[in-house]
Amino acid sequence: MSRSSNEPIHLEKNLEMNVETIKKTLGNSADLIVRKSSIGMIENQFAMMYLKGLVDDDQVNNNILRILELNKKDITTNLLDAVYDEMIALTEIKKSPELDSIIKALLNGDTAVLLSDENQAILLGTSGGEFRSIEEPQSESVIRGSRSGFVENLKFNLALLRRELKNPNLRIDFMEIGKHSNQKMAICYIEGHAKPEIVDEVVRRLKTVDIDFSPDSGFVEQWIEDSNLSPFPQILDTERPDRVAYNLLRGKIGIIVEGSPFALLMPITIGDSLKTIEDYNQRWMISTMLRLLRFVSFYMTLFLPALYVALVSYHPELIPTQLLFTIAASREGVPFPSLIEALIIALFYEILQEAGTRLPRKIGQTIGIVGGIVIGEIAVQAGIVTPLMVIAISLTAIAAFTLPNYSLAIGLRVMRFGAIFAATILGLYGIILVFIMIHIHLANLKSIGIPYSAPFAPNYLGDLKNVIIRAPITTLTKQQTQPFLEPAEEVEKTNGGSGTS
Amino acid sequence: MKMNKAPAEFINDRDIMFAVASNIISITILFLPRYVANNTIAADGWLTILLGGVIALILGWFLAKIASAFPNQSFLSFASYLVSKPVAIILCMAFILQYVVISSFQIREIATLSHEYLFDRTPIEVVCLAFLLVVVYAASGSRAAIFRLNIMFFPFVVGGLVLLIFFPLGAVKLENLLPVFETDLKGIVLGTTSSLHAFLGFSIVLFYISLIKKPQQATKMTVLGILWPFFFYIIIFIVCIGVFGNETTNNLYYPVFELSKKVSNPGNFIERFDSILFIIWTIIVFTTSLIAFDIAVLLLTLIFKNTKKMTIIFILSPIIFLLAMLPTNYIEINKIIKYMAYTEITFIIFVILLLGTMLLIKGVKTNDQI
Repeated sequence: MSRSSNEPIHLEKNLEMNVETIKKTLGNSADLIVRKSSIGMIENQFAMMYLKGLVDDDQVNNNILRILELNKKDITTNLLDAVYDEMIALTEIKKSPELDSIIKALLNGDTAVLLSDENQAILLGTSGGEFRSIEEPQSESVIRGSRSGFVENLKFNLALLRRELKNPNLRIDFMEIGKHSNQKMAICYIEGHAKPEIVDEVVRRLKTVDIDFSPDSGFVEQWIEDSNLSPFPQILDTERPDRVAYNLLRGKIGIIVEGSPFALLMPITIGDSLKTIEDYNQRWMISTMLRLLRFVSFYMTLFLPALYVALVSYHPELIPTQLLFTIAASREGVPFPSLIEALIIALFYEILQEAGTRLPRKIGQTIGIVGGIVIGEIAVQAGIVTPLMVIAISLTAIAAFTLPNYSLAIGLRVMRFGAIFAATILGLYGIILVFIMIHIHLANLKSIGIPYSAPFAPNYLGDLKNVIIRAPITTLTKQQTQPFLEPAEEVEKTNGGSGTS
Repeated sequence: MKMNKAPAEFINDRDIMFAVASNIISITILFLPRYVANNTIAADGWLTILLGGVIALILGWFLAKIASAFPNQSFLSFASYLVSKPVAIILCMAFILQYVVISSFQIREIATLSHEYLFDRTPIEVVCLAFLLVVVYAASGSRAAIFRLNIMFFPFVVGGLVLLIFFPLGAVKLENLLPVFETDLKGIVLGTTSSLHAFLGFSIVLFYISLIKKPQQATKMTVLGILWPFFFYIIIFIVCIGVFGNETTNNLYYPVFELSKKVSNPGNFIERFDSILFIIWTIIVFTTSLIAFDIAVLLLTLIFKNTKKMTIIFILSPIIFLLAMLPTNYIEINKIIKYMAYTEITFIIFVILLLGTMLLIKGVKTNDQI
């Protein structure tokens, strides 16, 4: 990349010089292995180069080095072609004369074979080494459903996806991101299911990504999302291959970034963040109940503490009389107004949550106990907060966790503070105004140009049976693609097999 | 990240229905039974609402026909073609004035309502200002988003109204509804005028049909949009009279809101049901005042082509706020409602006659010819 302004550097016809150039480019790095040997009856010199640790050692030893070294035949044809076409027993094989691509290949874990008097290098796909094995997804566990989650290796991840979707129309396009990390990124979609305009738009946005390094797909997400002022995630992250597969069939586009176990799905709507793939594995009535529950949780996370503050400080007449007496009695010794009370508890909770995530697992338990006692009992006994406020805040926290998407849940937790302040200033009226404002924001929000509030508005009645409720599976199979993501009819026919981007 | 070339946002035929329905259902429904009961005997008012609704359906049908004869053309462009540019601009100005007044009236009414029932210590100016700021926030978004917002709120509105109708059903006394057909002609005419005023929100189709790509069903959707409030108004009126009787309804400032106070919800889970419905009223008023605001902005951007939308919004909002603060008491507000009713009805009929006859004389011109 640093030399991109200059002419690309090509290899010479001299083996020694080539090896030196590559060594110099990599700064004589200690993990660069150079193995020199000879091939054929007339002992043609060759050099093999790779970076230790990035390659699969077995492959390099057995499939390349041994074959080349043991070959003592008389080679009559061009040496390069003979090696390239006949000898090496590897499936991934390329030729390249350019230094840049050779360096890139080496850094990717490929092995370069340089032959004497040839100005081309043979690049062999030997990347391997140690990787985390496939495990159950940590952030999206299910009771009934597939147990496999994405890992950090792009190859594995794509294989996982292919295993879910044995569809010949599944397209996987590669792009590169990260000026320094040169990571690969796969854009996956199903031809005929995804709208070509949306694919083009995603690719256009990805081309503008200008970062040094993307440790997680979150970097890419933040770069290409429509509005970075919104608390709602406009791109869905998921660890589950089955969820990606399902959503690709619904007309969405997936992005998998090398080194990240989180795949990105776009464009999404608010309904997509509230679904889990497990909804489809359970029977429909149960799933429907759970979906409705999640909608309740959604609003509860946003408004419950605010509602409590509003009721206590502005509209005590709305609370049933007996409960009002209890509240008044418990608020007797509390010195703070309900706003401060709510903020204290909410802050406690946020600190606990953050500590719980960051702490080593062994200390985590201590935090749980300490937090439980501090928040649950002592704070009440000490007369700092009322028990009802503790209930309100902890219910909010638990409600936030019923939402299957963590990014959405933390967004809601932030907005909840806004609602608390509005309730303090204007009571119930303030909460209603916040409610309206959140919906205004949702109506204006877009994900890759698709209205975020679909299928509620623009209204697609047919798709609502898969958002608010989860209709019996037999009624859902008819239409796979979401109506607002459906590609135009003609495009699907004329462009059925060939790629577009 | 912004779209490379954001496509012009169109709306569907069906969106018009939601917009019309939620624009018609406004704060007017809260005091409509008072006006109607004022001029009629017992529950005869339903007849006047029926008449008003039917007239509204006819007028709405004409209006939608006129507007959908010129697909993808703004009001100003087809009005200038029909009645010459200066007249079209005068019409625009009259509409702008009307919608600015409607918007500020709605805001004032919701402030009055919340002041009356929810909190009496908070100054009315603060309540109005907070509401207006939310309206401005919505208006500064895209126009298609306003339609999406209407659709999103529509289930809340319908659900709230259905609750409002169902819960007090137990308190309905049949003798309150009797005797029938005793009202004289004058009462019916006056009642019909009041009801017709409550339906006038359909006039928005004149400006919004141009946003539909292919307005084939726009007329049908307008009529459907009027039918929603049509049924709700009649049923709510009958329930209202059934619960309170004609005399009481006549003397309550917001009879429909009092209706929700009558409700005893099962288990007394919430002491006062009316506060739940207050949410619905806020939403109802919000959509109406937002659409009125947006049309004023739309028409102003048509007249002053080079001015930015945000500039217009920022100029309009203080005006609306001041207008909303102008009346000092209920009596003045009542007078204003009466004037508004007569002028709006006269004006819309005048516009329909004017544009309709000119359309018959001049015929339709397509977009390319203008």
